Amino acid sequence: MIEVSGLTKQYGSRTVVDDVSFVLEPGTVTGFLGPNGAGKSTTLRMMTGLVAATAGSTRIDGRPYDALANPAAVVGTLLDASAVHPGRTGRTHLRLMAATVGVPAARADEVLELVGLPDAAGRRIGGYSLGMRQRLGIAGALLADPPVLVFDEPANGLDPEGIRWMRDLLRGHAARGGTVLLSSHLLGEVESTVDRLLVIGAGRIVADGPVSDLLGSEGTAVHAADPAALSRALETAGFHVQHGADGALVVPGAEPGDVGAVAAAGGHVLTDLRPVRRGIEDLFFQLTA
Amino acid sequence: MTTSTSTTAAAASSASSSAPSSGPSSSAVPAVRPPVRAGGPSPAALVGIEVRKSLSTRSGRSLAVGGMLLAPAATAVVAAASDETLGSVTGPLGVMGVLTGLVLLSLGVLATAGEWSHRTVQTTHLLVPRRGRVLAAKAVAVALLGAVAAAVAAALTVAVLAGLADGASWDGAGRAVGVFVAAGAVFAVTGAGVGAALANTPAAMTTLYLLVLGVLPIVRTFQPEVGSKADPAEAVLALSQGQAVTQSVLVLTGWVVVSLVAGAVVTRRRAVA
Repeated sequence: MIEVSGLTKQYGSRTVVDDVSFVLEPGTVTGFLGPNGAGKSTTLRMMTGLVAATAGSTRIDGRPYDALANPAAVVGTLLDASAVHPGRTGRTHLRLMAATVGVPAARADEVLELVGLPDAAGRRIGGYSLGMRQRLGIAGALLADPPVLVFDEPANGLDPEGIRWMRDLLRGHAARGGTVLLSSHLLGEVESTVDRLLVIGAGRIVADGPVSDLLGSEGTAVHAADPAALSRALETAGFHVQHGADGALVVPGAEPGDVGAVAAAGGHVLTDLRPVRRGIEDLFFQLTA
Repeated sequence: MTTSTSTTAAAASSASSSAPSSGPSSSAVPAVRPPVRAGGPSPAALVGIEVRKSLSTRSGRSLAVGGMLLAPAATAVVAAASDETLGSVTGPLGVMGVLTGLVLLSLGVLATAGEWSHRTVQTTHLLVPRRGRVLAAKAVAVALLGAVAAAVAAALTVAVLAGLADGASWDGAGRAVGVFVAAGAVFAVTGAGVGAALANTPAAMTTLYLLVLGVLPIVRTFQPEVGSKADPAEAVLALSQGQAVTQSVLVLTGWVVVSLVAGAVVTRRRAVA
């Protein structure tokens, strides 16, 4: 279990992380979401002892990161996939890590296969694409198969297939009882991966809860064969109707079922009916306003 | 993509579906955790890892090999070009020891500052958060590398001198070779200390070479006594001829201690981006 309590980072008079607290439970994938510069990376660096906290603490299995005897056996961390020596091969990079972590050297090739890079093992990292470096970084985090994974923007540079692969990896890790924290500035990259969202804006946690709660329905969008008639029927039924782009009617606060019932009662032909989900941008604006 | 229902990670089955799962450790994706050492790496293991790190880059290997070959090559060129008879081999050995040390200075810088410049320091300290232990291991590692490279350079230089310098005196050659080897270690460790203190490869190299090759020679011209109390190159030259032993040892010790202390202070405090 990871307990972050009151983490704060100030540079002079500027507070970049402000009293951040959360607890991560085994078996869950938590998305750490916020725009660039919101304090995600600084929080992760304080959690792992790379940056000294101005205040607050992190406990991993009850101890600070730098008090863990062999931290990489507990927490697999990928912070910056480009923080590698371009002149080493992927295999050499991982073998050096394996020796430091204390796993057999052969484990380097195992994790290279696990992340889909066996063919690039003998090539210099300088020739790797960003997506390949992300996979290499994930391979390094998995060397000791640690119970906790902390990834900072791991989807950067991954293609859609890679993002799907990573989702399977992280969901599988949580299904085995592991704990996962991954950060992103793009909800779309993580929304189908995470159970829970921690939303950070301007250094503060502004929302913390299940994805469905935070990004619940805002209303319903509907396309009809005769939009004007449906619009009149909805307003008669007491709904407020807005006219969206490309002829859609947007009904704030209504469930698709409500709109469907009105349409069925009036015999309106619908061509599309869907809930309007709040976008992460809207959520930020609403939470940080 | 169907995922495995066993304890194997879901992605594992996608990445290596062809690997037979015949046992806990024999398949490409183990169904149980790999054997992991319980504690952190021992000091000896950390030193070994740092040696491997230094030699796993082209620049590190080039500097190690360059340090071995520059002195004998320079000796051969000078001996072939010179008509004068050499009095004693200790003088040339001292000069070549300094030359080799100046190459190995860079090897030390790369071991510490190179980690900051390439930002690999992030991985290093994620795996070993006790930064002082890492710096100590780096200091020992580059001392070993520097001593070994200098020993090879000294042996080759002796061979060249034996072949080309007829009639020169070999009195004190053993001491000069010992100083040659020690200078390799001292310069490499000094480079590592300054590299850690400045955390930036170009800055550390420029500072060191300007200081040793620019500032100190100029100061020595006007104030010879300051030079002899601060110049590591002069200390190596004096030691290889058995002169000013105590002061020279103090000068070299001072460079090692001051640079390592400065490096340790910065290494402990600096935020890793």
